[in-house]
Amino acid sequence: MTGMAKPIVMDLERKPNIHLATQAKGEALRAALVALRSGTGLAAEYLDALPVPHRRVERWKHTPVAGFWSTYEAPQVQTVLAAGCEACPVPGLHAYRMVFVNGTFDPAASDLPVHNGVQCAPISMSDSPPREAGDLEATEWFAALNQAFAIEGMRLHIKKGVVLDRPLLVHHHTHGPNSANFLRHEITVEANAQVQLIHWSTADSQASGMVNIMTHIEAATGSHVALDKVQDEAGKLHHLAFEQINQAQSTQVRVHTGTIQGQWVRNDLNFRLDGEGCDSVLNGFFLPSGNEFVDNHTTVDHCAANCTSSEQYQGILYGSSSGVFNGKVFVRPNAQQTNAYQQNGNILVTDKSKINAKPELEIYADDVKCSHGCTIGQFDEEALFYARSRGISEAEAKAMLVNAFIGDVLDGFAVPEVRMELEHRLATKHGWDTWNDTLEAG
Amino acid sequence: MVNIKELQASIGDTPILKGLNLEIKPGEVHAIMGPNGAGKSTLASVLAGREHYAVKGGSVDFDGQDLLDMDATERARSGLFLAFQYPVEIPGVSNINFMRAAINGKREHQGLEPIKGKDFLSLVKEKSSLVELDGRLRNRSVNEGFSGGEKKRNEIFQMAMLEPRFAVLDETDSGLDIDALRIVASGVNAMRSPERSFLVITHYQRLLDYIVPDFVHVLVDGKIVMSGDKDLALKLEDKGYDWIKEETIA
Repeated sequence: MTGMAKPIVMDLERKPNIHLATQAKGEALRAALVALRSGTGLAAEYLDALPVPHRRVERWKHTPVAGFWSTYEAPQVQTVLAAGCEACPVPGLHAYRMVFVNGTFDPAASDLPVHNGVQCAPISMSDSPPREAGDLEATEWFAALNQAFAIEGMRLHIKKGVVLDRPLLVHHHTHGPNSANFLRHEITVEANAQVQLIHWSTADSQASGMVNIMTHIEAATGSHVALDKVQDEAGKLHHLAFEQINQAQSTQVRVHTGTIQGQWVRNDLNFRLDGEGCDSVLNGFFLPSGNEFVDNHTTVDHCAANCTSSEQYQGILYGSSSGVFNGKVFVRPNAQQTNAYQQNGNILVTDKSKINAKPELEIYADDVKCSHGCTIGQFDEEALFYARSRGISEAEAKAMLVNAFIGDVLDGFAVPEVRMELEHRLATKHGWDTWNDTLEAG
Repeated sequence: MVNIKELQASIGDTPILKGLNLEIKPGEVHAIMGPNGAGKSTLASVLAGREHYAVKGGSVDFDGQDLLDMDATERARSGLFLAFQYPVEIPGVSNINFMRAAINGKREHQGLEPIKGKDFLSLVKEKSSLVELDGRLRNRSVNEGFSGGEKKRNEIFQMAMLEPRFAVLDETDSGLDIDALRIVASGVNAMRSPERSFLVITHYQRLLDYIVPDFVHVLVDGKIVMSGDKDLALKLEDKGYDWIKEETIA
């Protein structure tokens, strides 16, 4: 062994799976962000130690990160008024509202809940201590980047037994080019409390840069949390969303993710079921078109016995779009009587669209029920012709088949107004004239 | 109403219809019989506008309009209906929503407003009694898990809902037991009128005992080789198709 080879080997041992060029780009980005945001990002707990993801890291194999190595500017626009967007993107929605524009809280556009049992404030105005970093920040470079640079977000604390009377909408809007928007939402739901959350991301057509949102949800014993998450961003954004959800005994958490539009989107949704009798639901749909990219990585970690998890992700890929689905389910040795279900269905509309789908089940307990299924197919031509032969237009026939394919996921969104707006936006994006609402026959 | 002249159609490089002529006047019921592979189902598909088949020549006039120039949706909205030999299952789309979209497509074509929910439901009730289609099937996904007989009754129910001017029934009798056949046939007979024409494609004479045709044509190798009245069907049942092949070749 020569004297020159040795330090390289040692370096690899210290930082496994590093791609040097990518690492340098990541570090350059970090330095640029430190300069841009004067002062933040220096005291990053894990950032130094983590490898920047690249193609030879399994979790990022089909998820290109090159688009992040770009130039960023300090945002000029920080209010709904200046951005010219809606404070509430959902017509008719009666909800509390927390609005952020380019990563900055907009108090004039917001409507916070005022209630003895609820503490809800932007992090910049909150006096409670910040939450400690979790597993995600310790293992994922982009999550650690969020920890280093996110100085704003929502801090929500719902006290024991309180049921929030309206949904709480967190709306983030990106306006203009070269944004670097970081938000972290810290949500604590005490025992037997209940809350419905909506996370809605929008952007204007000139928007570019990155959005990096980290959400922590701690659900204490017996609590119920529903999160409806919608991504409808015009422009050319790179959108990263991390969620870490920790469930204590007898909790129910339902997360629905709908990706309507977005140049590059990665959802990294993680459930940890820590107490017995938990129920977790994670459903999602994605309908990318053009050259959009949508990635859903999910992990359900069954750490306790007698829990159920149910997962369904449905994707329809148009144009030259591509997608990734990766669904991990861990069942730990003591998590007996687990009932875990996972389903992922994909339709490739054109021969240029692409999906990389991978269910991953690791089961270490012996008395469990786990099932999973994954399909990749095309629109049923026979069904389309049958519908057309009845006088239904091709566009409407396709809308019907889409509705049939993602209808179950859509129906699961907790807030009806969100569901209706999703249908409306899908119909607008894809040029369907109508969306058939259900009609009960007498 | 329908005038088919020298119609030629193929799948890929294989010619199936080789110069077919047929004129159907308002109110008439024509039956087309023929051996396997003669082109019966191809004729039905070409009339309904299935892109899988390439029309190589000839014309089809439908009440003064060039049928071949319209896509499948326009043909249906203009009053053509095809009852499928193998009705298609569409999981997740309810029969009732499917029919409402079809009705509203036709109404849009006629410049009418979408049908009101209440009117639609009473129409469904009226038309489904025609083929004894029970309410359970109306609310299920289109044809999903239906028996063979239920699928065919659903076809006739759809036809009754859409009230076409010209209906093509493609082997509607296949897979039916005698009771289902009687129900389907009486549904069709209830719809016979001086303004409405039918083209009944069948392999067997049996259906024609119930739906009595004005004319019977024999299709062999992509052409109509013989035409007659309902007695021709009985003769075919009795003697098979071989004698026609011999007679027409000779």
